[in-house]
Amino acid sequence: MTPDAWLLVGGVLAVLLLAWVGWTLRRLTRLEARVERAWAALDTQLRRRAGLAEQLARDHPAAVGQDRAPYLAAFAADARDPVDGDRELSENALGRELRELPADLPGVPAALQADLAGTATRVGLARRFYNDAVRDTCALRGQRMPRLLGLHGRRPLPRYFDIDDRLHQVAGAGRGGS
Amino acid sequence: MRIGLVCPYQWDVPGGVQYHVRDLAETLQALGHHVEVLTPAEHEESLPPYATFAGRTVPVPYNGSMASLQFGPVSAARVRRWLRDGRFDVVHVHEPASPSVSLLVCMIATGPVVATFHAATTRSKWLAALAPMVRPWLERVSGRIAVSDFARRLQVEHLGGDAVIIPNGVHVDAFTHGPGLPGITRGVDGPTIGFLGRFDEPRKGLPVLLEAMRTVVRQHPGARLLVAGRGDAAELDRLIGPDLRPHVALLGTISEKEKGAFLRSVDVYCAPNLLGESFGVILIEALAAGAPIVASDLDAFARVLEDGNAGVLVRRGDAAGLGRALCDLLADPRRLAELAARGPVAAAVYDWQVLARRILAVYETVVLPDGGAVTATDEDHFPGVPPARRQLRSSPRRWAPR
Repeated sequence: MTPDAWLLVGGVLAVLLLAWVGWTLRRLTRLEARVERAWAALDTQLRRRAGLAEQLARDHPAAVGQDRAPYLAAFAADARDPVDGDRELSENALGRELRELPADLPGVPAALQADLAGTATRVGLARRFYNDAVRDTCALRGQRMPRLLGLHGRRPLPRYFDIDDRLHQVAGAGRGGS
Repeated sequence: MRIGLVCPYQWDVPGGVQYHVRDLAETLQALGHHVEVLTPAEHEESLPPYATFAGRTVPVPYNGSMASLQFGPVSAARVRRWLRDGRFDVVHVHEPASPSVSLLVCMIATGPVVATFHAATTRSKWLAALAPMVRPWLERVSGRIAVSDFARRLQVEHLGGDAVIIPNGVHVDAFTHGPGLPGITRGVDGPTIGFLGRFDEPRKGLPVLLEAMRTVVRQHPGARLLVAGRGDAAELDRLIGPDLRPHVALLGTISEKEKGAFLRSVDVYCAPNLLGESFGVILIEALAAGAPIVASDLDAFARVLEDGNAGVLVRRGDAAGLGRALCDLLADPRRLAELAARGPVAAAVYDWQVLARRILAVYETVVLPDGGAVTATDEDHFPGVPPARRQLRSSPRRWAPR
Protein backbone atom coordinates (compact mmCIF):
# COMPACT_ATOMS: atom_id res chain seq x y z
CA MET A 1 0.00 0.00 0.00
CA THR A 2 1.12 3.53 -0.67
CA PRO A 3 1.82 5.87 2.22
CA ASP A 4 -1.37 7.72 1.30
CA ALA A 5 -3.46 4.61 1.80
CA TRP A 6 -1.81 3.95 5.15
CA LEU A 7 -2.54 7.50 6.15
CA LEU A 8 -6.14 7.01 5.16
CA VAL A 9 -6.47 3.77 7.14
CA GLY A 10 -4.81 5.42 10.13
CA GLY A 11 -7.12 8.39 9.84
CA VAL A 12 -10.19 6.23 9.68
CA LEU A 13 -9.03 4.27 12.72
CA ALA A 14 -8.34 7.46 14.63
CA VAL A 15 -11.78 8.81 13.82
CA LEU A 16 -13.39 5.54 14.91
CA LEU A 17 -11.41 5.57 18.14
CA LEU A 18 -12.37 9.18 18.80
CA ALA A 19 -16.03 8.45 18.14
CA TRP A 20 -15.88 5.48 20.48
CA VAL A 21 -14.14 7.53 23.18
CA GLY A 22 -16.74 10.27 22.88
CA TRP A 23 -19.55 7.76 23.05
CA THR A 24 -18.07 6.04 26.09
CA LEU A 25 -17.50 9.35 27.84
CA ARG A 26 -21.12 10.18 27.30
CA ARG A 27 -22.17 6.82 28.71
CA LEU A 28 -20.03 7.42 31.77
CA THR A 29 -21.47 10.88 32.31
CA ARG A 30 -24.96 9.54 31.95
CA LEU A 31 -24.28 6.72 34.38
CA GLU A 32 -22.78 9.13 36.87
CA ALA A 33 -25.94 11.22 36.69
CA ARG A 34 -28.05 8.11 37.13
CA VAL A 35 -26.06 7.01 40.20
CA GLU A 36 -26.50 10.51 41.64
CA ARG A 37 -30.23 10.51 41.00
CA ALA A 38 -30.62 7.02 42.43
CA TRP A 39 -28.64 8.02 45.50
CA ALA A 40 -30.73 11.13 45.97
CA ALA A 41 -33.87 8.98 45.85
CA LEU A 42 -32.46 6.45 48.30
CA ASP A 43 -31.25 9.17 50.64
CA THR A 44 -34.66 10.85 50.56
CA GLN A 45 -36.42 7.61 51.45
CA LEU A 46 -33.97 6.76 54.23
CA ARG A 47 -34.34 10.23 55.74
CA ARG A 48 -38.08 9.96 55.48
CA ARG A 49 -37.98 6.65 57.27
CA ALA A 50 -35.83 8.08 60.05
CA GLY A 51 -38.18 11.07 60.34
CA LEU A 52 -41.24 8.83 60.61
CA ALA A 53 -39.51 6.66 63.21
CA GLU A 54 -38.68 9.74 65.26
CA GLN A 55 -42.24 10.95 64.99
CA LEU A 56 -43.51 7.56 66.07
CA ALA A 57 -41.19 7.42 69.08
CA ARG A 58 -42.02 11.00 70.09
CA ASP A 59 -45.80 11.02 69.62
CA HIS A 60 -46.78 7.43 70.33
CA PRO A 61 -44.41 5.99 72.94
CA ALA A 62 -47.22 3.90 74.42
CA ALA A 63 -47.91 2.11 71.16
CA VAL A 64 -44.24 1.42 70.56
CA GLY A 65 -43.67 0.35 74.16
CA GLN A 66 -42.20 2.63 76.83
CA ASP A 67 -38.95 0.69 76.95
CA ARG A 68 -38.59 0.63 73.18
CA ALA A 69 -39.39 4.23 72.33
CA PRO A 70 -36.09 5.78 73.53
CA TYR A 71 -34.14 3.19 71.53
CA LEU A 72 -36.20 3.87 68.45
CA ALA A 73 -35.61 7.61 68.81
CA ALA A 74 -31.89 7.04 69.34
CA PHE A 75 -31.57 4.75 66.33
CA ALA A 76 -33.51 7.20 64.16
CA ALA A 77 -31.22 10.05 65.23
CA ASP A 78 -28.19 7.89 64.56
CA ALA A 79 -29.49 7.00 61.09
CA ARG A 80 -29.87 10.68 60.26
CA ASP A 81 -26.37 11.46 61.43
CA PRO A 82 -24.27 8.35 62.05
CA VAL A 83 -21.86 8.84 64.94
CA ASP A 84 -19.14 6.63 63.53
CA GLY A 85 -19.92 7.59 59.94
CA ASP A 86 -21.18 4.14 58.98
CA ARG A 87 -24.54 4.84 57.42
CA GLU A 88 -25.23 1.23 56.49
CA LEU A 89 -24.79 0.07 60.06
CA SER A 90 -27.07 2.77 61.47
CA GLU A 91 -29.75 2.16 58.86
CA ASN A 92 -29.59 -1.55 59.56
CA ALA A 93 -30.12 -0.94 63.26
CA LEU A 94 -33.08 1.34 62.56
CA GLY A 95 -34.56 -1.11 60.08
CA ARG A 96 -34.30 -3.95 62.58
CA GLU A 97 -35.90 -1.84 65.28
CA LEU A 98 -38.80 -0.92 62.97
CA ARG A 99 -39.35 -4.52 61.94
CA GLU A 100 -39.52 -5.60 65.56
CA LEU A 101 -42.33 -3.18 66.38
CA PRO A 102 -45.64 -4.77 67.29
CA ALA A 103 -47.62 -5.39 64.14
CA ASP A 104 -50.80 -3.45 64.91
CA LEU A 105 -49.42 -0.38 66.79
CA PRO A 106 -52.60 0.51 68.73
CA GLY A 107 -53.52 4.19 68.73
CA VAL A 108 -51.19 5.16 65.90
CA PRO A 109 -53.03 6.97 63.07
CA ALA A 110 -53.55 4.81 59.99
CA ALA A 111 -51.87 7.46 57.83
CA LEU A 112 -48.64 7.20 59.80
CA GLN A 113 -48.71 3.42 59.68
CA ALA A 114 -49.31 3.46 55.93
CA ASP A 115 -46.48 5.96 55.54
CA LEU A 116 -44.14 3.69 57.48
CA ALA A 117 -45.05 0.65 55.40
CA GLY A 118 -44.80 2.65 52.19
CA THR A 119 -41.39 4.00 53.11
CA ALA A 120 -40.15 0.50 53.91
CA THR A 121 -41.16 -0.60 50.41
CA ARG A 122 -39.63 2.46 48.82
CA VAL A 123 -36.35 2.07 50.68
CA GLY A 124 -36.17 -1.43 49.22
CA LEU A 125 -36.96 -0.23 45.72
CA ALA A 126 -34.64 2.76 45.86
CA ARG A 127 -31.81 0.64 47.18
CA ARG A 128 -32.21 -1.91 44.44
CA PHE A 129 -32.25 0.80 41.77
CA TYR A 130 -29.23 2.50 43.29
CA ASN A 131 -27.21 -0.70 43.41
CA ASP A 132 -28.30 -1.40 39.86
CA ALA A 133 -26.92 1.95 38.74
CA VAL A 134 -23.68 1.25 40.61
CA ARG A 135 -23.45 -2.17 38.98
CA ASP A 136 -23.86 -0.72 35.50
CA THR A 137 -21.18 1.88 36.22
CA CYS A 138 -18.77 -0.71 37.57
CA ALA A 139 -19.40 -2.96 34.57
CA LEU A 140 -18.53 -0.21 32.10
CA ARG A 141 -15.55 1.04 34.06
CA GLY A 142 -14.29 -2.51 34.48
CA GLN A 143 -13.98 -3.03 30.73
CA ARG A 144 -10.42 -3.10 29.42
CA MET A 145 -10.47 -0.11 27.08
CA PRO A 146 -12.20 2.42 29.35
CA ARG A 147 -9.92 1.34 32.19
CA LEU A 148 -6.69 1.59 30.18
CA LEU A 149 -7.63 4.98 28.79
CA GLY A 150 -8.76 6.19 32.19
CA LEU A 151 -11.95 7.57 30.70
CA HIS A 152 -13.58 7.94 34.09
CA GLY A 153 -11.18 10.77 34.94
CA ARG A 154 -11.05 11.53 38.62
CA ARG A 155 -14.48 10.26 39.50
CA PRO A 156 -14.39 7.86 42.42
CA LEU A 157 -15.91 4.44 41.88
CA PRO A 158 -19.44 4.51 43.35
CA ARG A 159 -20.06 2.18 46.29
CA TYR A 160 -22.81 -0.34 46.69
CA PHE A 161 -25.19 0.36 49.54
CA ASP A 162 -25.95 -2.83 51.41
CA ILE A 163 -28.50 -2.97 54.16
CA ASP A 164 -30.92 -5.66 55.19
CA ASP A 165 -34.27 -4.29 54.06
CA ARG A 166 -35.96 -7.66 53.56
CA LEU A 167 -36.17 -6.93 49.89
CA HIS A 168 -37.46 -10.40 49.05
CA GLN A 169 -40.55 -9.50 51.07
CA VAL A 170 -40.84 -6.09 49.56
CA ALA A 171 -40.27 -7.10 45.98
CA GLY A 172 -40.84 -10.83 45.95
CA ALA A 173 -43.23 -12.41 43.49
CA GLY A 174 -46.79 -11.75 44.39
CA ARG A 175 -46.19 -11.16 48.07
CA GLY A 176 -45.87 -8.01 50.12
CA GLY A 177 -46.99 -4.78 48.58
CA SER A 178 -46.95 -1.16 49.49
CA MET B 1 -48.62 12.06 37.72
CA ARG B 2 -48.12 12.13 33.94
CA ILE B 3 -47.18 8.65 32.82
CA GLY B 4 -46.15 7.45 29.38
CA LEU B 5 -46.42 3.73 28.68
CA VAL B 6 -44.72 2.12 25.70
CA CYS B 7 -45.91 -1.17 24.22
CA PRO B 8 -43.56 -2.73 21.65
CA TYR B 9 -46.09 -5.12 20.11
CA GLN B 10 -49.01 -4.36 17.84
CA TRP B 11 -51.92 -3.26 19.98
CA ASP B 12 -54.62 -5.05 17.99
CA VAL B 13 -52.88 -8.44 18.07
CA PRO B 14 -53.73 -10.49 21.17
CA GLY B 15 -50.80 -10.92 23.51
CA GLY B 16 -49.82 -10.89 27.14
CA VAL B 17 -47.73 -7.72 26.97
CA GLN B 18 -50.48 -5.80 25.17
CA TYR B 19 -53.08 -6.82 27.76
CA HIS B 20 -50.66 -5.92 30.53
CA VAL B 21 -50.10 -2.41 29.16
CA ARG B 22 -53.81 -1.90 28.52
CA ASP B 23 -54.86 -3.01 31.99
CA LEU B 24 -52.10 -1.02 33.65
CA ALA B 25 -53.03 2.11 31.69
CA GLU B 26 -56.70 1.82 32.54
CA THR B 27 -56.07 1.06 36.22
CA LEU B 28 -53.72 4.01 36.57
CA GLN B 29 -56.24 6.27 34.85
CA ALA B 30 -58.91 5.12 37.28
CA LEU B 31 -56.53 6.08 40.10
CA GLY B 32 -56.52 9.62 38.71
CA HIS B 33 -53.27 9.73 36.75
CA HIS B 34 -52.74 11.03 33.26
CA VAL B 35 -51.67 8.05 31.17
CA GLU B 36 -50.72 7.89 27.51
CA VAL B 37 -49.61 4.86 25.53
CA LEU B 38 -47.30 4.70 22.53
CA THR B 39 -47.74 1.54 20.55
CA PRO B 40 -47.53 0.10 17.06
CA ALA B 41 -50.72 -1.34 15.61
CA GLU B 42 -51.96 -3.03 12.50
CA HIS B 43 -54.88 -0.63 12.19
CA GLU B 44 -54.47 2.84 13.57
CA GLU B 45 -58.21 3.22 14.11
CA SER B 46 -58.27 0.30 16.57
CA LEU B 47 -56.41 2.33 19.17
CA PRO B 48 -58.16 3.73 22.25
CA PRO B 49 -58.13 7.51 22.70
CA TYR B 50 -55.22 7.48 25.13
CA ALA B 51 -52.91 5.62 22.71
CA THR B 52 -50.66 7.12 20.05
CA PHE B 53 -49.92 5.23 16.86
CA ALA B 54 -46.22 4.41 16.46
CA GLY B 55 -46.35 2.78 13.04
CA ARG B 56 -46.40 -0.84 12.03
CA THR B 57 -43.91 -3.50 12.96
CA VAL B 58 -42.05 -5.84 10.66
CA PRO B 59 -42.72 -9.43 11.64
CA VAL B 60 -39.58 -11.56 11.83
CA PRO B 61 -39.78 -15.31 12.38
CA TYR B 62 -37.93 -16.10 15.55
CA ASN B 63 -37.84 -19.03 17.91
CA GLY B 64 -40.94 -20.67 16.51
CA SER B 65 -43.13 -17.58 16.67
CA MET B 66 -43.03 -14.07 15.28
CA ALA B 67 -41.03 -11.27 16.80
CA SER B 68 -41.93 -7.82 15.68
CA LEU B 69 -39.23 -5.36 14.78
CA GLN B 70 -39.57 -1.66 14.41
CA PHE B 71 -36.69 0.67 13.90
CA GLY B 72 -35.56 3.55 11.79
CA PRO B 73 -35.81 7.31 11.42
CA VAL B 74 -39.57 7.49 10.92
CA SER B 75 -40.30 5.58 14.10
CA ALA B 76 -37.63 7.61 15.89
CA ALA B 77 -39.33 10.84 14.83
CA ARG B 78 -42.66 9.59 16.12
CA VAL B 79 -41.08 8.62 19.43
CA ARG B 80 -39.41 11.99 19.74
CA ARG B 81 -42.64 13.86 19.05
CA TRP B 82 -44.58 11.72 21.54
CA LEU B 83 -41.98 12.33 24.25
CA ARG B 84 -41.87 16.09 23.63
CA ASP B 85 -45.64 16.50 23.46
CA GLY B 86 -46.32 14.23 26.44
CA ARG B 87 -44.10 15.98 29.03
CA PHE B 88 -44.26 12.85 31.16
CA ASP B 89 -42.99 12.64 34.71
CA VAL B 90 -42.00 9.08 34.01
CA VAL B 91 -41.92 6.84 30.96
CA HIS B 92 -42.51 3.13 31.40
CA VAL B 93 -41.29 0.92 28.54
CA HIS B 94 -42.10 -2.76 28.17
CA GLU B 95 -39.78 -5.43 26.85
CA PRO B 96 -37.07 -2.99 25.71
CA ALA B 97 -34.36 -5.53 24.85
CA SER B 98 -35.35 -6.09 21.22
CA PRO B 99 -35.26 -3.53 18.42
CA SER B 100 -38.65 -2.03 18.97
CA VAL B 101 -40.31 1.24 19.78
CA SER B 102 -39.47 0.51 23.44
CA LEU B 103 -35.75 0.45 22.72
CA LEU B 104 -36.12 3.63 20.67
CA VAL B 105 -37.66 5.33 23.67
CA CYS B 106 -34.72 4.21 25.82
CA MET B 107 -32.39 5.72 23.22
CA ILE B 108 -34.15 9.02 22.88
CA ALA B 109 -35.65 9.79 26.27
CA THR B 110 -33.83 11.72 28.94
CA GLY B 111 -35.24 11.55 32.42
CA PRO B 112 -36.74 8.82 34.56
CA VAL B 113 -37.38 5.66 32.54
CA VAL B 114 -38.81 2.49 34.06
CA ALA B 115 -38.66 -0.80 32.14
CA THR B 116 -40.61 -4.02 32.58
CA PHE B 117 -39.17 -7.29 31.32
CA HIS B 118 -41.70 -9.97 30.44
CA ALA B 119 -39.83 -12.64 28.48
CA ALA B 120 -38.54 -15.70 30.24
CA THR B 121 -37.08 -17.81 27.45
CA THR B 122 -33.94 -19.19 28.98
CA ARG B 123 -31.95 -20.07 25.89
CA SER B 124 -32.31 -17.05 23.72
CA LYS B 125 -29.46 -16.81 21.22
CA TRP B 126 -31.15 -13.77 19.81
CA LEU B 127 -31.05 -11.92 23.08
CA ALA B 128 -27.52 -13.12 23.81
CA ALA B 129 -26.35 -11.72 20.46
CA LEU B 130 -28.20 -8.45 20.90
CA ALA B 131 -27.32 -7.89 24.53
CA PRO B 132 -23.95 -6.14 24.06
CA MET B 133 -25.51 -3.78 21.52
CA VAL B 134 -28.60 -3.05 23.57
CA ARG B 135 -26.86 -2.73 26.91
CA PRO B 136 -25.54 0.83 26.53
CA TRP B 137 -29.12 1.98 25.95
CA LEU B 138 -30.59 0.05 28.80
CA GLU B 139 -28.13 1.83 31.07
CA ARG B 140 -30.51 4.76 30.90
CA VAL B 141 -33.29 2.84 32.58
CA SER B 142 -33.45 3.92 36.20
CA GLY B 143 -35.87 1.29 37.49
CA ARG B 144 -36.22 -2.26 36.22
CA ILE B 145 -39.19 -4.51 36.85
CA ALA B 146 -39.50 -8.19 35.98
CA VAL B 147 -42.87 -9.95 35.90
CA SER B 148 -41.54 -13.19 37.34
CA ASP B 149 -38.47 -14.79 38.85
CA PHE B 150 -37.74 -16.28 35.45
CA ALA B 151 -37.95 -12.99 33.64
CA ARG B 152 -35.65 -11.55 36.29
CA ARG B 153 -33.17 -14.38 35.91
CA LEU B 154 -33.05 -13.81 32.16
CA GLN B 155 -32.49 -10.14 32.73
CA VAL B 156 -29.67 -10.79 35.22
CA GLU B 157 -27.96 -13.36 33.02
CA HIS B 158 -28.17 -11.63 29.66
CA LEU B 159 -28.35 -7.96 30.39
CA GLY B 160 -26.48 -7.79 33.67
CA GLY B 161 -28.92 -5.83 35.78
CA ASP B 162 -31.16 -6.53 38.69
CA ALA B 163 -34.92 -6.03 38.74
CA VAL B 164 -37.72 -5.89 41.25
CA ILE B 165 -40.45 -8.42 40.71
CA ILE B 166 -43.97 -7.18 40.17
CA PRO B 167 -46.11 -9.91 38.65
CA ASN B 168 -48.69 -9.74 35.90
CA GLY B 169 -52.07 -8.56 37.02
CA VAL B 170 -55.67 -9.62 36.73
CA HIS B 171 -58.88 -7.69 37.34
CA VAL B 172 -59.88 -10.08 40.12
CA ASP B 173 -63.38 -8.65 40.56
CA ALA B 174 -64.25 -9.06 36.91
CA PHE B 175 -63.52 -12.76 37.17
CA THR B 176 -65.01 -13.40 40.58
CA HIS B 177 -68.44 -11.95 39.85
CA GLY B 178 -70.54 -12.44 36.79
CA PRO B 179 -72.74 -14.93 34.98
CA GLY B 180 -71.64 -18.39 33.94
CA LEU B 181 -71.89 -20.07 30.56
CA PRO B 182 -75.51 -20.87 29.63
CA GLY B 183 -76.34 -24.48 30.33
CA ILE B 184 -73.30 -25.19 32.43
CA THR B 185 -73.41 -24.50 36.15
CA ARG B 186 -70.71 -25.38 38.60
CA GLY B 187 -71.64 -28.36 40.73
CA VAL B 188 -74.84 -29.10 38.81
CA ASP B 189 -74.36 -30.38 35.28
CA GLY B 190 -72.17 -33.45 35.71
CA PRO B 191 -68.60 -32.65 36.59
CA THR B 192 -67.03 -30.40 33.94
CA ILE B 193 -63.32 -29.94 33.44
CA GLY B 194 -62.06 -26.87 31.62
CA PHE B 195 -59.06 -26.44 29.37
CA LEU B 196 -58.13 -23.17 27.71
CA GLY B 197 -55.32 -22.50 25.27
CA ARG B 198 -54.04 -23.33 21.81
CA PHE B 199 -54.88 -27.00 21.86
CA ASP B 200 -52.70 -27.96 18.90
CA GLU B 201 -49.55 -26.77 20.65
CA PRO B 202 -48.06 -29.89 22.26
CA ARG B 203 -46.50 -27.87 25.08
CA LYS B 204 -49.96 -26.94 26.32
CA GLY B 205 -50.35 -30.62 27.13
CA LEU B 206 -53.91 -31.35 25.94
CA PRO B 207 -52.99 -34.93 24.83
CA VAL B 208 -51.97 -35.69 28.42
CA LEU B 209 -55.28 -34.38 29.68
CA LEU B 210 -57.22 -36.43 27.10
CA GLU B 211 -55.38 -39.54 28.23
CA ALA B 212 -56.23 -38.69 31.83
CA MET B 213 -59.89 -38.15 30.85
CA ARG B 214 -60.13 -41.87 29.98
CA THR B 215 -59.48 -42.62 33.66
CA VAL B 216 -61.84 -39.89 34.80
CA VAL B 217 -64.87 -41.01 32.74
CA ARG B 218 -64.50 -44.53 34.13
CA GLN B 219 -65.18 -43.20 37.63
CA HIS B 220 -67.36 -40.23 36.72
CA PRO B 221 -69.39 -41.31 33.68
CA GLY B 222 -71.02 -37.89 33.43
CA ALA B 223 -67.71 -35.99 33.28
CA ARG B 224 -67.19 -33.62 30.40
CA LEU B 225 -64.11 -31.81 29.15
CA LEU B 226 -64.66 -28.32 27.76
CA VAL B 227 -61.89 -27.22 25.43
CA ALA B 228 -61.68 -23.52 24.63
CA GLY B 229 -59.11 -21.86 22.41
CA ARG B 230 -57.75 -21.85 18.89
CA GLY B 231 -56.45 -24.81 16.96
CA ASP B 232 -57.10 -27.41 14.30
CA ALA B 233 -60.43 -29.04 15.22
CA ALA B 234 -60.05 -32.00 12.83
CA GLU B 235 -56.67 -32.85 14.27
CA LEU B 236 -58.11 -32.69 17.77
CA ASP B 237 -61.03 -34.90 16.80
CA ARG B 238 -58.62 -37.63 15.69
CA LEU B 239 -56.83 -37.33 19.02
CA ILE B 240 -60.07 -37.60 20.98
CA GLY B 241 -61.16 -40.86 19.41
CA PRO B 242 -64.62 -42.43 19.50
CA ASP B 243 -64.49 -43.46 23.16
CA LEU B 244 -64.05 -39.92 24.44
CA ARG B 245 -66.13 -38.09 21.85
CA PRO B 246 -69.31 -37.86 23.95
CA HIS B 247 -67.25 -36.45 26.82
CA VAL B 248 -65.45 -33.64 25.03
CA ALA B 249 -66.99 -30.37 23.89
CA LEU B 250 -65.07 -27.94 21.71
CA LEU B 251 -65.98 -24.32 22.38
CA GLY B 252 -63.56 -22.73 19.91
CA THR B 253 -62.10 -19.27 20.43
CA ILE B 254 -63.73 -17.37 23.26
CA SER B 255 -63.70 -13.67 24.04
CA GLU B 256 -62.39 -12.10 27.25
CA LYS B 257 -65.94 -11.89 28.63
CA GLU B 258 -66.71 -15.48 27.75
CA LYS B 259 -63.44 -16.52 29.35
CA GLY B 260 -64.67 -15.27 32.72
CA ALA B 261 -67.98 -17.07 32.27
CA PHE B 262 -66.16 -20.21 31.20
CA LEU B 263 -63.93 -20.17 34.30
CA ARG B 264 -66.90 -19.49 36.58
CA SER B 265 -68.79 -22.46 35.11
CA VAL B 266 -66.33 -25.34 35.15
CA ASP B 267 -65.99 -27.59 38.18
CA VAL B 268 -62.25 -27.96 37.75
CA TYR B 269 -59.83 -26.00 35.61
CA CYS B 270 -56.95 -28.06 34.31
CA ALA B 271 -53.58 -26.69 33.09
CA PRO B 272 -51.61 -29.74 31.94
CA ASN B 273 -48.81 -27.66 30.34
CA LEU B 274 -45.59 -29.52 29.69
CA LEU B 275 -43.08 -26.70 29.67
CA GLY B 276 -42.03 -23.13 29.65
CA GLU B 277 -44.75 -20.84 30.93
CA SER B 278 -43.19 -17.67 32.26
CA PHE B 279 -46.22 -16.81 34.24
CA GLY B 280 -49.61 -18.41 34.61
CA VAL B 281 -51.99 -15.49 34.13
CA ILE B 282 -54.73 -17.95 33.22
CA LEU B 283 -54.26 -19.69 36.57
CA ILE B 284 -54.73 -16.41 38.40
CA GLU B 285 -57.87 -15.78 36.39
CA ALA B 286 -59.13 -19.25 37.27
CA LEU B 287 -58.33 -18.65 40.94
CA ALA B 288 -60.20 -15.36 40.83
CA ALA B 289 -63.18 -17.09 39.24
CA GLY B 290 -63.18 -19.62 42.06
CA ALA B 291 -62.40 -22.56 39.82
CA PRO B 292 -60.55 -25.37 41.62
CA ILE B 293 -57.33 -25.99 39.69
CA VAL B 294 -55.34 -29.05 38.77
CA ALA B 295 -52.08 -27.99 37.12
CA SER B 296 -48.74 -29.47 36.19
CA ASP B 297 -45.88 -28.70 38.53
CA LEU B 298 -44.12 -26.05 36.44
CA ASP B 299 -42.22 -23.60 38.64
CA ALA B 300 -44.40 -20.70 37.54
CA PHE B 301 -47.59 -22.61 38.28
CA ALA B 302 -46.35 -23.87 41.64
CA ARG B 303 -45.65 -20.28 42.64
CA VAL B 304 -49.12 -19.05 41.69
CA LEU B 305 -50.75 -22.03 43.41
CA GLU B 306 -48.68 -21.46 46.57
CA ASP B 307 -46.94 -24.83 46.21
CA GLY B 308 -50.22 -26.72 46.21
CA ASN B 309 -52.16 -24.79 48.83
CA ALA B 310 -54.37 -23.02 46.33
CA GLY B 311 -54.64 -25.85 43.81
CA VAL B 312 -53.57 -29.38 43.05
CA LEU B 313 -50.16 -29.89 41.41
CA VAL B 314 -49.31 -33.02 39.44
CA ARG B 315 -46.10 -34.15 37.77
CA ARG B 316 -45.94 -32.73 34.26
CA GLY B 317 -46.68 -35.19 31.46
CA ASP B 318 -47.95 -37.86 33.86
CA ALA B 319 -51.37 -38.82 32.47
CA ALA B 320 -52.05 -41.47 35.11
CA GLY B 321 -51.19 -39.07 37.93
CA LEU B 322 -53.32 -36.34 36.38
CA GLY B 323 -56.26 -38.75 36.01
CA ARG B 324 -55.96 -39.81 39.62
CA ALA B 325 -55.76 -36.24 40.84
CA LEU B 326 -58.84 -35.22 38.83
CA CYS B 327 -60.84 -38.24 40.06
CA ASP B 328 -59.89 -37.67 43.68
CA LEU B 329 -60.72 -33.98 43.50
CA LEU B 330 -64.08 -34.48 41.76
CA ALA B 331 -65.02 -37.06 44.39
CA ASP B 332 -64.23 -34.69 47.26
CA PRO B 333 -66.82 -31.90 47.45
CA ARG B 334 -65.29 -30.50 50.63
CA ARG B 335 -61.89 -30.01 49.00
CA LEU B 336 -63.59 -28.50 45.94
CA ALA B 337 -65.44 -25.97 48.06
CA GLU B 338 -62.29 -25.19 50.00
CA LEU B 339 -60.30 -24.53 46.83
CA ALA B 340 -63.11 -22.45 45.33
CA ALA B 341 -63.14 -20.25 48.44
CA ARG B 342 -59.35 -20.03 48.60
CA GLY B 343 -59.02 -18.95 44.95
CA PRO B 344 -60.11 -15.29 45.08
CA VAL B 345 -58.03 -14.81 48.25
CA ALA B 346 -54.93 -16.23 46.58
CA ALA B 347 -55.60 -14.12 43.47
CA ALA B 348 -55.98 -10.91 45.47
CA VAL B 349 -52.23 -10.21 45.52
CA TYR B 350 -52.33 -10.18 41.71
CA ASP B 351 -55.19 -7.72 41.51
CA TRP B 352 -54.43 -4.72 39.34
CA GLN B 353 -55.50 -2.38 42.13
CA VAL B 354 -52.69 -3.80 44.28
CA LEU B 355 -50.11 -4.09 41.51
CA ALA B 356 -50.76 -0.65 40.07
CA ARG B 357 -49.96 0.83 43.48
CA ARG B 358 -46.74 -1.16 43.62
CA ILE B 359 -45.82 0.09 40.17
CA LEU B 360 -46.66 3.63 41.26
CA ALA B 361 -44.26 3.18 44.18
CA VAL B 362 -41.58 2.37 41.59
CA TYR B 363 -42.45 5.53 39.65
CA GLU B 364 -42.33 7.63 42.80
CA THR B 365 -38.95 6.17 43.65
CA VAL B 366 -37.33 7.11 40.35
CA VAL B 367 -39.00 10.50 39.96
CA LEU B 368 -37.19 13.13 41.98
CA PRO B 369 -39.24 16.03 43.33
CA ASP B 370 -37.33 18.62 41.30
CA GLY B 371 -36.18 16.22 38.59
CA GLY B 372 -38.20 17.69 35.74
CA ALA B 373 -40.12 15.85 33.06
CA VAL B 374 -38.99 13.26 30.57
CA THR B 375 -38.11 14.73 27.23
CA ALA B 376 -36.28 13.76 24.07
CA THR B 377 -32.55 14.20 23.56
CA ASP B 378 -31.24 16.45 20.89
CA GLU B 379 -30.84 14.65 17.66
CA ASP B 380 -27.05 14.55 17.72
CA HIS B 381 -27.32 12.32 20.73
CA PHE B 382 -28.71 9.60 18.61
CA PRO B 383 -26.05 7.89 16.52
CA GLY B 384 -27.13 5.20 14.13
CA VAL B 385 -30.26 6.92 12.95
CA PRO B 386 -29.38 10.03 11.01
CA PRO B 387 -31.66 12.97 11.67
CA ALA B 388 -32.89 13.04 8.13
CA ARG B 389 -34.10 16.56 7.49
CA ARG B 390 -32.50 18.66 10.13
CA GLN B 391 -28.98 17.36 9.61
CA LEU B 392 -27.77 19.91 7.07
CA ARG B 393 -29.24 22.85 8.79
CA SER B 394 -27.97 21.94 12.21
CA SER B 395 -24.61 20.49 11.32
CA PRO B 396 -22.50 23.53 12.27
CA ARG B 397 -24.03 23.43 15.73
CA ARG B 398 -23.45 19.74 16.23
CA TRP B 399 -19.99 20.25 17.67
CA ALA B 400 -20.88 23.17 19.81
CA PRO B 401 -19.98 22.58 23.46
CA ARG B 402 -22.95 21.53 25.50
